Amino acid sequence: MTPKLLEIKDLSAGITESGKEIIKHLNLTINSGETHAIMGPNGAGKSTLSYVLTGKPDYTVTGGSMHFCGHDLTALKPEERAALGIFLSMQAPVEIPGVTTQFFLKHAVNAVRKYNNLPELDTAEFLKLLRSKAKEFEVSADMLKREINVGFSGGEKKRLEILQLSLLQPKLAILDEADSGLDIDALKIVANGVNQWHNNDNSLLIITHHLDLLRQIKPDFVHIYADGHIIRTGGMALAEELETSGYKNYLEASI
Amino acid sequence: MSLLKQNTALFGENIPWFEGLREKACTIFARIGLPTAKTEAWKYSYFKEDALNKPQIDSTPHQCDGHCHDESNLPFLAVDIKYCNGKLTHIAHDLPCGVIIRPLYEAIEDGEIKPYLNKSFDMEEFPFAALNTAFLDEGLFIVITAGTVLNMPIYLHYHQHHDVNRLSNIRNIVVVEKGAKATLIEHFDGENDAQYFDNIVNEIYVGTGAILQHYKQQNEAQKAHHVALNSVLIKADGQYNAFIVHGECTLARTESYVRLTQENAAAEINGVYRLEQNGISDITTNIRHLAPHTNSDQLVKGVLDGKAKGVFQGQIHIAPDAQQTTGYQLHRALVLSDEAEVDCKPELEIFADDVKCSHGAASGDLDAEQLFYMQARGIPLQEARQILIEAYLNEVFEKAKDSAVAEWMKDSYL
Repeated sequence: MTPKLLEIKDLSAGITESGKEIIKHLNLTINSGETHAIMGPNGAGKSTLSYVLTGKPDYTVTGGSMHFCGHDLTALKPEERAALGIFLSMQAPVEIPGVTTQFFLKHAVNAVRKYNNLPELDTAEFLKLLRSKAKEFEVSADMLKREINVGFSGGEKKRLEILQLSLLQPKLAILDEADSGLDIDALKIVANGVNQWHNNDNSLLIITHHLDLLRQIKPDFVHIYADGHIIRTGGMALAEELETSGYKNYLEASI
Repeated sequence: MSLLKQNTALFGENIPWFEGLREKACTIFARIGLPTAKTEAWKYSYFKEDALNKPQIDSTPHQCDGHCHDESNLPFLAVDIKYCNGKLTHIAHDLPCGVIIRPLYEAIEDGEIKPYLNKSFDMEEFPFAALNTAFLDEGLFIVITAGTVLNMPIYLHYHQHHDVNRLSNIRNIVVVEKGAKATLIEHFDGENDAQYFDNIVNEIYVGTGAILQHYKQQNEAQKAHHVALNSVLIKADGQYNAFIVHGECTLARTESYVRLTQENAAAEINGVYRLEQNGISDITTNIRHLAPHTNSDQLVKGVLDGKAKGVFQGQIHIAPDAQQTTGYQLHRALVLSDEAEVDCKPELEIFADDVKCSHGAASGDLDAEQLFYMQARGIPLQEARQILIEAYLNEVFEKAKDSAVAEWMKDSYL
């Protein structure tokens, strides 16, 4: 039996401040090596799921459980979840003025290494690693010297996210609309980066509206997500069907 | 006014013009006294005389344990000058060509200081400068002669031991003559637990086409009080660039009183402050544009935590004939706790019509989205906060003209 990487059981969660419930009795298990895609209408709470898994303080778990490699995620801080191997490529990567990309990446890599009792990389070791990866994702030396995401184009931001995926080598990557705003070439770079990283020991959770990315990163499972939980699970054929007929049929059926 | 009732024998009591000046200062200080909560210029950072805990004028000769002659530990070459316990203890032996640095008392004795001493401000408006004049005993007379371009900074290190609660009144007169260029660094520190009150007045005269970079690192002991007035007069095409760094002590105030007296004079004042306990940092500026085509620019940013208080008062005055002038000012503060306080008072007095002026102020907490982004990459929250704070203040450090000095200040600060 393949080991369970992520196990979500009867999970409910909502906005911390207002208490509004967004995720409702969600069940999802992701095993090592699998690729899952989540598709669904806007406002269904797909991004919320990515934030709840990574521990964003704006959201609070109100019921159920979520375990990652046997760890109860609700007991862990966001940085601990990241260091254990959950990576979130954000829909809108945050700009951080005053912090250069290279400086930030080194801190991130070493923070994760430190948590896992690995020796931290010195500047020379880190730069060697960074340069080889940066070339792969067409991230220029100039981009690395600039402030994180400040003034980056949509494509540059997403390439930087995938560069981070490749540097941090997580066990689970959540890609929240990693394809939005990308042209064909940039999409290829992102997809290739993800495919290169992906192996039998790590897993993917892809949140998307489009088939373009899924055609390049072939999912094992496609879930239709609406009103805070999964209403239908299938394979790539389900995604293809959604492209022609939309969510309408499934939404009506679920009511 | 118990601060004045001290039996001291100070230098220069036999020099009539000088003694006359001190007496005049005594009279003024006795009348105006310490600023109170009702004194407009001090309403956010006044302090009670009791809080000063009876600081003493120390008129005994300086006893040195050798410590005061330690070589400075700077990562760049500098002209070394040291004050220890408020006394001038060291002036570098080999001065660069074109630089005159003398103890103030010498220049008082031979009268060379007369055209400059107390000629740049009115004591009625500056109570601590009046106090400084009343007890004036220590200081420097620094002249960068015409056309001299100094290739290393002049470094003034002020250090305080914790032996007595001392009131140190120090006056530096800095004259940068026509076309000269120089960098002045002031660095204040004190031993842990040292209680003292540093009362510093710098009178700075920037000549035609001259440039002075003035860096100040205030890293006084936690229990110290620090009040400084930088009174600056700038002639045509002259530039004065100040960079002020405030660490935490009981109360620190740096007031820049700058007058752009002739065409094309320019001043830039940048500052950062970072307080985490219960101290007060006050950066006050008063930039007076008195001639056409004069320019000023100010950026001050602070970070406050605990019960600390940050004050920024910035006045830009533009005289009626100071046309085609620019005056910009921005103050921002990060307030990281509910009990920390920031007080900001911008004042624009514009009497000319063809000018470009702006001021802005903002305060807030660290950005939650940025913090989460870093945490989501494995960076612990505390480290992420530190990175954001440094980035926030870095914007100001990047404006420093001398990157080696800025780097040194930043390293000992952040």
